[in-house]
Amino acid sequence: MRSAFLTYFRLIAADIRSQLGYPVSFLLETAGAGLIISMYFISLALVFQRFDNIAGWTLGEVAFLYGLIEMGFGTMDMIFSGFDPQFFGQIVRRGGFDKILLRPQSLTLQVLGSSFVIRRLGRILQGVVIFLIALSMVEISWTPVKIIYLPVVFASLVCFFGGFFIIGSTITFWTVESIEVINILTYGGSEMMSYPMHIYQDWMRRFFTFIVPAIFLNYYPALYFLDKPALQELPYFAPFLSPIAGFGVLFFALRFWRFGIRHYQSTGT
Amino acid sequence: MSDMISATDLKKHFVLHRHRPGFIGAVRNLITREHRLIRAVDGVNFHIECGEFVGYLGPNGAGKSTTLKMLTGLLVPTSGELLVNGRVPWRERQVHVGEIGAVFGQRTTLWWDLPVIDSLELLRHIYHIPADRFRKNLQEFRDLLELDHFLHTPVRALSLGERMRADLCAALLHDPRLLFLDEPTIGLDVVAKERIRQFIRHINLERGTTILLTTHDISDVEKLCKRVMIIDRGRLLYDGLLDKLHQRFGGNRQLVVDFGEIYEDVHVDGAQVTEQVGTRVTYHFERGTVTASELIGRLSSRFRIRDLEVREPDVEDTIRRIYEEQLLVRG
Repeated sequence: MRSAFLTYFRLIAADIRSQLGYPVSFLLETAGAGLIISMYFISLALVFQRFDNIAGWTLGEVAFLYGLIEMGFGTMDMIFSGFDPQFFGQIVRRGGFDKILLRPQSLTLQVLGSSFVIRRLGRILQGVVIFLIALSMVEISWTPVKIIYLPVVFASLVCFFGGFFIIGSTITFWTVESIEVINILTYGGSEMMSYPMHIYQDWMRRFFTFIVPAIFLNYYPALYFLDKPALQELPYFAPFLSPIAGFGVLFFALRFWRFGIRHYQSTGT
Repeated sequence: MSDMISATDLKKHFVLHRHRPGFIGAVRNLITREHRLIRAVDGVNFHIECGEFVGYLGPNGAGKSTTLKMLTGLLVPTSGELLVNGRVPWRERQVHVGEIGAVFGQRTTLWWDLPVIDSLELLRHIYHIPADRFRKNLQEFRDLLELDHFLHTPVRALSLGERMRADLCAALLHDPRLLFLDEPTIGLDVVAKERIRQFIRHINLERGTTILLTTHDISDVEKLCKRVMIIDRGRLLYDGLLDKLHQRFGGNRQLVVDFGEIYEDVHVDGAQVTEQVGTRVTYHFERGTVTASELIGRLSSRFRIRDLEVREPDVEDTIRRIYEEQLLVRG
């Protein structure tokens, strides 16, 4: 187990060394990724200049949500780079997955170790900045439970998005044409989750409650942290379902991944 | 048990879905799919003993790489039995791949943007190679493969021949008992090819590593393997000594004669004239019916000969004839 993790860190270190071999492209892409996120947020702030709240949420409150999601998604996007369906789909198509199968190490660990895109730090950093701005704009009454629970929600978010990356990558064993659909779920999903979910229509909110349990990772916890009343009556434990939803999605994804590998080994590419 | 590989009635069938092009095609794909069964490997039997060096030949799509993928544990067979190095490859993937090595000429196993030595170091950890054994092996391969002058060069900057040498080194650092080589000399010049062949032969002889070589380059096989297996359309057509293959299917030998002057009638019993350009005449004759010296005797008694040459058919011709004329098709 220990040696497996050492191997993982060596693989990541190797990938980072490769990326640093192209310093200019690294700097440009990091700055670019961060800049795009900032532009989104600035446009959001401009909207708030005209309407001082969106469905009862102030700019600071939306920024809290936005920053949290950006940090979570950005971190996931860095840790799970190897499972980025776009990247992994290419690997499969070029026969690179055979190379992974030919090595005496866990497949999941090797895929995770195959890419660690550090330029995502740009996005993460922007998320941190937006989150800090949010904290300065809203008065959060911190309790010990809130302080402990915040990193838990963050970790759950990483697992949740990571699960979707794994599911998307697994689908590329069957077809690479469906990558767009998965992108809608991951990139589109994270975009949607940056806003308070009661602004969406009922069917959509139900979808993100019962089918894809995203609402437990952004909206409900945010209500709890910000001490905001929910539109409907919520069970008191709803904000605390983040880890169950997050780790549950990751668990399901890993099961599906195993299934996908079995399929790959019976058909090849 | 001295069998390194034993395959019994090994089969791999694929179901291929036909994809119709365009939007309407995509919709129709969802409703009805056309299936086609591909028998990539269709009941293959063979045994390879420890320390053997076997050439595995066949035209494109014959089932070579599917066989290879089953032997390395990448693919699960449809049916049949397969034991490699005492194991069922796909059941114990991690242990299995830890004891075999594979070089695919078209792809590299090395990290593209890193210096060669960094890749080798990474592989040391991935394969859990003890430090002293790693050092010893690396030293040996550095000398044999002359890796020194590009050990610190990123893989992307290597020439094809250098990359292949680095890949061979990478595949052997963990002392595999069995080595799979898929087109190891593809795209290389004559000198580079020869260097790689020498190294492979050395590994087989000195380390006793069992080697299965798939290649399109018949001269690889001629120079390295005693035994060849030929596969076509998923079935083994031939499994035996390369020499025997020659004798059975070698076809005609050639005698090229340069006469002292131009003769009207150059026919001779036991041989056929296939080409006549000026004083230069090419005869074909069958192995077993007449010997070269008999033929030369008959010719020299009638004509003045300036020069002559006996040509053996090469393996490439032999194998091409086997594919094309389906000489070995079983009923």
